[in-house]
Amino acid sequence: MTDQDDPLIRIIAVLKEPVALAPDLTARVMAELERVPSPGPVAAPPPVAWWRRRWTIRVSPVGALAMAAGLVAVVVAGQRFGRRAETPSLGQTQFVLVARDAKAVALVGDFNDWSLSATPLERTDSDGVWWVTVPLVPGRYRYAYVVDGTMWRPDPQAPAAEDEFGRPNSVVTIGGT
Amino acid sequence: MTGENDAQLLRRVLAGEREVYAQLVERYRDRLGRYALRMLGERADADDVLQETFVRAYRSLAGCDPERFGAWVFGILVNRCRTHAARRAQTNARIVTNDAAMANAAVAHSEARDAIRDAINWALERLPPEQREAFLLKHVEDLSYEEMEQVTGVRPSALRMRVLRAREGLRKLLAEASP
Repeated sequence: MTDQDDPLIRIIAVLKEPVALAPDLTARVMAELERVPSPGPVAAPPPVAWWRRRWTIRVSPVGALAMAAGLVAVVVAGQRFGRRAETPSLGQTQFVLVARDAKAVALVGDFNDWSLSATPLERTDSDGVWWVTVPLVPGRYRYAYVVDGTMWRPDPQAPAAEDEFGRPNSVVTIGGT
Repeated sequence: MTGENDAQLLRRVLAGEREVYAQLVERYRDRLGRYALRMLGERADADDVLQETFVRAYRSLAGCDPERFGAWVFGILVNRCRTHAARRAQTNARIVTNDAAMANAAVAHSEARDAIRDAINWALERLPPEQREAFLLKHVEDLSYEEMEQVTGVRPSALRMRVLRAREGLRKLLAEASP
């Protein structure tokens, strides 16, 4: 936009002006933090052997085909694939991704504010298998994987859902039908 | 306010100095608040979402790359705004502004400068939320399309189209609102 008469130049200038916020906002935030536990370190992953046993159970024929293509995402949770979930403990849901060439994988969803850094997956071996376990209360959640910080990947084996902004996501229901 | 950078402050918070988090809030509240207000249109909503964003960020702070706190917390805000807007749309609880009244107010306002602001805010609020979001991220927050993709999960080609449509929409709406 180089045209000085373009109304968008004025629009942008107006929208960049500072806005008035609640003057006590910082105090309100800090007061609420009094009731919040201090942020702690990320929990250590459980043993690999335990994870391998679960993975071999859950891969479907469709998943095997997708793995052959080099990238597949699978979520292990209650009521998936018509089987009862073998969750490691009550409320724990395991998310698994095979991405051989990935350098980093993150799980984003309703449960972590779609944060790219809150729930990184751990790589377990040289086969490019990534996983993370997330405690979830019963409910319906939208989620996706982000590979190498930029590639947004819905789960090909889970029901698809677009949010109101047109972003492709997947859905998992915990404890429901 | 100290001269410490974000990473230094964040590490102090993680080490147990909770009160240091106030410095990070002060550092980012204006920029984040501006986006929230432009996106949601109501100051009370913007204040609530901003507070919620900082509290949620604190809870998840252990997962934040200390060198990227600003981008990280901005990403949380964008998603909180989406959630808030969706909830508001679903419950239909929001009072819908009378378009004609707003247009007239924009024209009849005694202060021309305020009238322009009113008209711009009125037009921005008329845009579909995904276009409003893309326009604000691109032209007000000055993010690159790659940065926008990381925040929104939408491909740059689609974001470019949204920004283009937002520009066209704003031009058209403001032309209609002018006397």
